[in-house]
Amino acid sequence: MKYIILIISSALLLCATPLYAQLDSIQKLEEVILNDVKLNEYAQGYKLIKISDSLIERDSKSLTDALRFNSTIYFKENGYGMVSSPSFRGTNAQQTAVIWNGISINSNLTGQTDFNTISPNSFTDITIRNGGGSTQYGSGAVGGSIHLNNAISFKKKESNDLRLLYGSFSTFEGVFKTIQSKENLYFDLGVDFVSSENDYKYLDRDKKNENGEFSRFNAAINSGYKLKKSSIIWNSNYFYSDRNFSGSITSPSHDNYKDVTTRNLISWKTNRAKLTSIVKGAHLFERYQYSPDKNKPLFFEGKSNTILGDYQLDYQLNNKVKISSIINYTYIEATGDNIGTNDRNTLAAVLLLKHQVNNKWSYGINLRQEFLNDFDNPFLFAVDGKYEAKSWYTLKGNFSKNYRVPTFNDLYWVAGGNEDLYPETSYQAEIGNNFQWKNFQVLVNGFYILSKDLIKWQPGVDGQFLPVNISETENYGLEFTGIYSKNFNKHQLDISGNYAYTSAIDKEKDKQLIYVPYHKITGLVNYSIKQFSAYYQILFNGEVFTTTDNNNTLESYSVSNLGLNYKIKNKLFPLKVGVKANNIFDIYYENVAYRPMPNRNYQIFLNFKF
Amino acid sequence: MTLLKNFTYLFIATLLLASCSSDDDNTVIVDPEPLGDYENGILVTNEGPFQNGTGTISFISEDFSNTEQTIYNNVNDSDLGSIVQSLGFYGDDAYVVVNNSHKIEVVNRYTFEAIATITEGLNNPRYFVAVGSNGYVTNWGDPFDESDDFVAIIDLTSNTVTSTISVAFGPEKIIESRGNIYVAHQGGYSQNNILTIINATSNTFVTTIEVGDVPNSMVVSEGDLWVLCGGNPNFTGIESNGRLVKIDIDTNGITQSFDFDLTQHPSNLTLDGTNLIYALDGGVYSNDTSSTSLPTDSVIDGLFYSVTANNGMLYTTDAGDFASNGTLKIYDLVTNAEVQSMEVGIIPGGVYFNN
Repeated sequence: MKYIILIISSALLLCATPLYAQLDSIQKLEEVILNDVKLNEYAQGYKLIKISDSLIERDSKSLTDALRFNSTIYFKENGYGMVSSPSFRGTNAQQTAVIWNGISINSNLTGQTDFNTISPNSFTDITIRNGGGSTQYGSGAVGGSIHLNNAISFKKKESNDLRLLYGSFSTFEGVFKTIQSKENLYFDLGVDFVSSENDYKYLDRDKKNENGEFSRFNAAINSGYKLKKSSIIWNSNYFYSDRNFSGSITSPSHDNYKDVTTRNLISWKTNRAKLTSIVKGAHLFERYQYSPDKNKPLFFEGKSNTILGDYQLDYQLNNKVKISSIINYTYIEATGDNIGTNDRNTLAAVLLLKHQVNNKWSYGINLRQEFLNDFDNPFLFAVDGKYEAKSWYTLKGNFSKNYRVPTFNDLYWVAGGNEDLYPETSYQAEIGNNFQWKNFQVLVNGFYILSKDLIKWQPGVDGQFLPVNISETENYGLEFTGIYSKNFNKHQLDISGNYAYTSAIDKEKDKQLIYVPYHKITGLVNYSIKQFSAYYQILFNGEVFTTTDNNNTLESYSVSNLGLNYKIKNKLFPLKVGVKANNIFDIYYENVAYRPMPNRNYQIFLNFKF
Repeated sequence: MTLLKNFTYLFIATLLLASCSSDDDNTVIVDPEPLGDYENGILVTNEGPFQNGTGTISFISEDFSNTEQTIYNNVNDSDLGSIVQSLGFYGDDAYVVVNNSHKIEVVNRYTFEAIATITEGLNNPRYFVAVGSNGYVTNWGDPFDESDDFVAIIDLTSNTVTSTISVAFGPEKIIESRGNIYVAHQGGYSQNNILTIINATSNTFVTTIEVGDVPNSMVVSEGDLWVLCGGNPNFTGIESNGRLVKIDIDTNGITQSFDFDLTQHPSNLTLDGTNLIYALDGGVYSNDTSSTSLPTDSVIDGLFYSVTANNGMLYTTDAGDFASNGTLKIYDLVTNAEVQSMEVGIIPGGVYFNN
């Protein structure tokens, strides 16, 4: 045990930088409890990237922006603040799992998460796990997964944070968070809201972004109670958003869309010598209301309830081998104007093994089998390994089989829903190289994903669209992540960047998938001196195809942002002031065809601590 | 400028006309000066991707030797708009109905130079027909409101909507015969089962006729109006059979009707001589107007988005996966063999002949 902690803490020292952290069990400190244990313990052969608080602070209005500017994930945003779907390693939004405190929260109706319906301020920890993770996280963790965690920390702390932001296009944001904790009790409460007129002018056009107003409200409570050999944690989250869906250059819009989600999770962890057991119960609720005309009473509705129970038993065989077995039961009921009322039961059995062979070698094996389903779920597996060849070089690798089950919309939508659908499956292999020289870290990852039986909506003989298991795709690519930090006297310099090359081929047509750029680059330079800090963010998004025959394209673009923060050091009332200019070169760009993105805009914020 | 050009063409045309008459004596044949790059050929309306894009128009010369995509954009350096639903002709002008941009672009049909844009008074416009100096356009209004559908009447001289006639929900195809305008109520996002008749002289509502569920296409042949009804599709839970209905234009009474099987939902009625041609279940069927029953065998196989007969040829479009360029395939209706195939734009929905 000590040995493992030693490895972990040395890894921690090696990898931790103020900007990103290569997350080799970063939360192993005894007093910190994370619900998503698997993320730290059973992912040594995977690339994990933590999006730090300072990165979130720069883009607190939008999780899409925070990830778009700081990771290799590409986002297809249907106009600023509108529906935002990720593409992870060239896979689609339904193949990217979003995991909240260890539980998948992708919509049961659409199979995906709209990244503009998540508040980035609500979590202590946002981690990007690259690569397939279906054995651990179930359906949808194909290209990768994004983990939203609320860590519970049993140490004495009292903090209150208030953040107020005002920006162009009548944008307001308010974030409040309080943490009260001691040795055996933890409580935090966070509330935040954003509202924006979002009526930016379209550059070079006599038009502005119409019907693009949005607002969102998020509240979260996380609490924990620690006993001698056990602890109980309750995580709770409420989210509401009210958006008009903006039109495009050629089509006006009167649409309105409202989302509500609630999430509750209770987990009880008991430690007994070599055994640790975790019992979890959770309830998830989601509802959408779509109005084709916001001025009229008509709307369409869909909602779903998920209840899940989860029992995990961890067994530390010796100081080198750890085994976890998990039984998970999930019941989903979904109902809507277009899908009727249907339900689904899933029983999953998962076995995870980790073996630290010696101080250089470790590997893991994950197996998953599901039962009770409406369709035959494939048997899933994952193998991963890590080899610390040199003090400056670590080799990682993983191989897995992953899947995605059809959504309730795919199965039951009127008209078209097809109850004969079966799960999509996908194989993935990845090699990762981590280099570390003093304050310079480079990660180079190559991946290959072969997916088949992909569900695609296509017209049938009667002209009616229906989903069928038909497509096959082959994705491969290379990712580079570089992090450099230098501290001299009172100066601190941090530079980081990502580059991704992604090829995602529709095998039938032998063409690149639409809205998957071959090239994506992000860059960040941060310079601090005393209380001042200045930063420059840049995003380059390569050309994407907008039609499946690759005849039509959307031009590449690069957007730059510039920000300045100043800390007022006052013991009684510490304050931070920041200004930021987005799209400083005022370039015209579209992220989705015919939907211009914002021109140059500004924001100013104040952070109070008390 | 455009006006000047039009005058120039008129001037040239008059000259040619004058010289032609004298040429006859000299037996020298002079081809008339073309009225524009797009005279004598086929125009294909491509709806374009929904919301995030623009519809386009493709041109194919009469001898198929020359194809040009996005002709409106090429000439006017701007986009037509979202969902190019259909077009109609009036004199030298073409009226391009752009559904999701709620407008009509008026262009010279031979040069495709923009003349006017009509937006006022249109809401989800679908199809256009010109009668006299008026244009009639079916409009869904709010597609989820079944009580605000209308036919807009356009003064084709000023290119403005001068009045509207309220009609039952889901007006779609529109056709004129002997002073009456027939509107087929396909039913928009839902289903309807009637025709509305409008008097084109007084611009007043005449009557409605119940024809069959989902009337989706019409042709006029020798004093008869033929209406093809698709029937309610299966997913509605009230599936009904397709039906081919013959209406006497003088009496507006149904004189004949043919029922398809319950699960058969035909579409795309078009006329070749006296043959009624339509698409059904991945095939194209042909039936003489004098036939007393429906045909059992298809003449051409293929899944088509639209089917249009002209001069012994059948022009079919295939929208493929609806997210890439489609195809225009041309068949000889004597041999039923394919004679030409060419790429057109995204979701090709209509074929028109610019002669």
